[in-house]
Amino acid sequence: MAGKKVDLSVDFCGVKFQNPFLLSSSPVSNSAEMVAKAFEAGWSGVAFKTLNSDRVRIVHPSPRMNPYHYGSKRLVGLQNVEQISDRSLKDNLLDFLYLKENYPDKIIISSIMGFSNEEWAYLAKASEDNGADMLELNFSCPHMTIEGSGHKVGQANHLIEKFTETVKKAVSIPVLAKMTPNITDMTEPALYAKQGGADGIAAINTVRGLSQVGLDDWTVRPKVAGIGAISGTSGPAVKPIGLRFIADLAKCERLGLPLSGQGGIETWIDALEYILLGSSTIQVTTGIIHYGYRIVEDMIEGLSDYMVERDIERVVDLVGKALPTLQDTDKFDLESQGVASYDLDRCVGCGQCLTVCNDSAGQALEWDPLLRRPTLIEDKCLSCMVCSFVCPVSGLISYKQQPSDWQRRETAVMGEQLEAELKLAAFK
Amino acid sequence: MYDPENFQRMAKGFSLDQAVAESERCLLCHDAPCSKACPADTDPGTFIRKLRLKNVTGAIRTIKENNILGGACGVLCPADRLCEKECCATEISRPVEIAKIQRFLVEHSWERNIKVLEASESNGKKVAVVGSGPAGLSCAAELAKQGCQATIFEARPEAGGVIRYGVPSYRYDVDFLEHELQEIKELGVEFRCNAPLREAGQVEELLENGYDAVFLATGLWAASRLHPEVSNVDGLMTSVEYLASLRDEQFEALRNKIKGSTIAVIGGGSVAIDCAEAAVKLGAEDVYLVYRRSFVQMPAEEVERIEALETGVHFLLLNQPVDFVINHQQKIEGLRLVRTRLEKAKGTGRRIPKAIAGSEWVLDADIVVEAIGNQAESGSPSWYPNVDVDQNGLIQADAATLTTSVEGIFAGGDIVRGPALVVDAVNDGKVAAMAIIEYLSKKEA
Ligand SMILES: Cc1cc2nc3c(=O)[nH]c(=O)nc-3n(C[C@H](O)[C@H](O)[C@H](O)COP(=O)(O)OP(=O)(O)OC[C@H]3O[C@@H](n4cnc5c(N)ncnc54)[C@H](O)[C@@H]3O)c2cc1C
Ligand SMILES: Cc1cc2nc3c(=O)[nH]c(=O)nc-3n(C[C@H](O)[C@H](O)[C@H](O)COP(=O)(O)O)c2cc1C
Ligand code: SF4
Ligand code: SF4
Ligand code: SF4
Repeated sequence: MAGKKVDLSVDFCGVKFQNPFLLSSSPVSNSAEMVAKAFEAGWSGVAFKTLNSDRVRIVHPSPRMNPYHYGSKRLVGLQNVEQISDRSLKDNLLDFLYLKENYPDKIIISSIMGFSNEEWAYLAKASEDNGADMLELNFSCPHMTIEGSGHKVGQANHLIEKFTETVKKAVSIPVLAKMTPNITDMTEPALYAKQGGADGIAAINTVRGLSQVGLDDWTVRPKVAGIGAISGTSGPAVKPIGLRFIADLAKCERLGLPLSGQGGIETWIDALEYILLGSSTIQVTTGIIHYGYRIVEDMIEGLSDYMVERDIERVVDLVGKALPTLQDTDKFDLESQGVASYDLDRCVGCGQCLTVCNDSAGQALEWDPLLRRPTLIEDKCLSCMVCSFVCPVSGLISYKQQPSDWQRRETAVMGEQLEAELKLAAFK
Repeated sequence: MYDPENFQRMAKGFSLDQAVAESERCLLCHDAPCSKACPADTDPGTFIRKLRLKNVTGAIRTIKENNILGGACGVLCPADRLCEKECCATEISRPVEIAKIQRFLVEHSWERNIKVLEASESNGKKVAVVGSGPAGLSCAAELAKQGCQATIFEARPEAGGVIRYGVPSYRYDVDFLEHELQEIKELGVEFRCNAPLREAGQVEELLENGYDAVFLATGLWAASRLHPEVSNVDGLMTSVEYLASLRDEQFEALRNKIKGSTIAVIGGGSVAIDCAEAAVKLGAEDVYLVYRRSFVQMPAEEVERIEALETGVHFLLLNQPVDFVINHQQKIEGLRLVRTRLEKAKGTGRRIPKAIAGSEWVLDADIVVEAIGNQAESGSPSWYPNVDVDQNGLIQADAATLTTSVEGIFAGGDIVRGPALVVDAVNDGKVAAMAIIEYLSKKEA
């Protein structure tokens, strides 16, 4: 297998990226000094920290983030109240020029946020004039409080269309609209963005949430001079939400725009899942906040090896490959039933399967207290598979298809003797 | 070289982060095998689950309610052959470090001042406990929790038994012990130190002097000797004298003697290892551990043996002490040894060492420590003449209730079991306390 080459490059909205891995707009893309290191590490492009037009001075709250830990696992989620870039527009644009000069093959996506048509147009033009290869319109910052900005725009479809249209008129480079997940159906605002001329969609921005409440001071975190606020949550905890919105957008035939997926990506597997659900590029922040730019090395290597193993030459051939089998639940074949299957040679005797089967499933296990081994009563197994979720030995418990004539036993009824006391008439 | 900080203080235990990370490796087993393997029912399966679910105070409560010396056990238990031996996580990677988590939780309770135990209302019963070692402490604490007034009679100046006057400080230090004792005092247990009960019949008289029951836990404080008739030799000590001196006011004098000297320790058990390792740490020039069998036959725990080797103890195996070399000033000069060879095993028995004729030699030594076993003090049966003892002076007590042949007198710990473990002594204390409560309530009825 060694030596076999795979092509990780992608064409995204007409722009060529060396690989699908980009920094998303956040502290990890705050300055050229930092982005240069990211480019050296292997990232193919950057959505730069959202520019502002210097009209209002931006000050970040202090402190501005809070971790969501799970046991000793750090940062399964991250909450932040950071604002858009607190640097001057001039400084940011000088950094664009520097990056373009030193890393001509890397892609700069200028993330911008305006408050009026004029301001959107101004930021777009300034970006294009100073080397930006693409734009990303930030319609999605979840803690902007001003109507007509951030995710408030993302929830007002006509503004999305209007601002996108304004930007498209001002520049000729491709334009992405970055969407908020703090909404029920993302395809609707995405279609308005398309109506306004957007060339692609980036999603998701952070999910409004609360990561922690202080037990001593009864104040949520991050605590900014005594005050907490609902704000943006990111990281692995939100990946299921991100995948869901990307899949919705990719499935929407009327939309048909290329997607830049993000939300909880840390490894090549996370990235590939986003790709298989329709993203052509993926973006990362929290993964970098947790581990640094170096994670891209493992994304590149991991994805390449996967492709070599499966004889897939171009990463673009993977985009959207999981979409055909993604259907509504009414398409399920309910005749098809199975049970859990135990490979007890590898069992370590912890009995967690028993505990969860008893307390959350089919009462389908018997336990030998001396041998410390479970025995499955197959016709009581619900095939819910919760035992396999807690079993510490990977792959010990697997799903086994049952023949079509197989029958599951009914759930035991404890009150059979009490039929005389039952008060129930048939529903008409 | 001697470093007071390292000699007088034990090494640090787990931090909160380490304990939490370790608890995450626990599989939260059904009918936890670790809990079943703990001799004192400390119930690690439960306290680790509680830690895992962030119920830290609850985890501490589980330990202390089950095992009043949970800290000492966390430090001193040979957990790799107790709870950790049965750990299901072994086959995933390695056993959960249960003892270290246990020690952490106990220390955490002191650091954060988390109190989980309460004395209950007095039931008016008075119980005398003879001996303040782990068994006596555990029994008294349990009795106090049940509302009895427990009074401990201790021969020595301070409480603790072997964990004060035996185990060296670098394994279990006095601060740690004082914390554990403090909690027992807070339960209302009364301590009477410098109060030996060694007159004939004195123990049994307690029942006539206002005590409703007695728990005997006097331990094993006489040392086995190679030549019991040899006495008053400068430089010849038993493990009992030697280890106690390391923990009382004679420490400085003994340390000066050990520094730069050659020490020979006779024995292959945990106690011998403690004696030898302490000598190295105190700056002895050479420390020999003399044992007549092979390395794998040593009764000391495997980890202890390896640690002693690494500390720099010279293992002189397959050598049997024959005699002491003593000069005319009654000072020890060496140890006469004979080399041994292991005979073929008969059936499943241990291989027996046989002296090799003509192989005698003398190991020069400034100090010789005999660590060949602890036994009941020879006069001890006279303290309780009606209590049945065996030929070695060990008290005979019913396994389930620890009742002796005298109504109202119970016994446990090493004086019943022979040399055992802290965790066994703790369990005996608990079992006896429950039996005493039942005995007292029956007596009332
Ligand atoms: C050097 C050494 C190291 C050890 N290391 C470990 C270890 O690492 N882990 C482990 O689990 N176990 C270890 N043990 C074993 C453990 O310490 C004992 O099993 C345990 O201490 C027994 O407790 P006990 O309460 O029965 O007796 P002891 O601890 O011996 O306590 C008996 C107490 O009774 C007092 N006493 C005796 N006679 C009288 C009297 N007539 N009147 C009043 N008081 C009296 C004594 O002074 C003493 O304080 C070790 C033992 C030794 C000797
Ligand atoms: C397997 C499963 C089935 C559920 N079924 C229902 C349901 O029937 N009705 C309901 O109101 N919520 C249902 N829920 C949602 C839960 O009640 C709960 O609101 C949700 O899981 C979030 O809480 P959690 O994070 O503690 O799981 C279900 C959740 C799970 C995991
Ligand atoms: S959860 Fe897995 S390892 Fe544990 S008892 Fe069940 S089958 Fe065995
Ligand atoms: S046996 Fe090991 S894995 Fe199982 S509950 Fe005990 S410590 Fe946890
Ligand atoms: S008391 Fe000792 S044997 Fe029991 S659980 Fe604790 S460390 Fe293990």
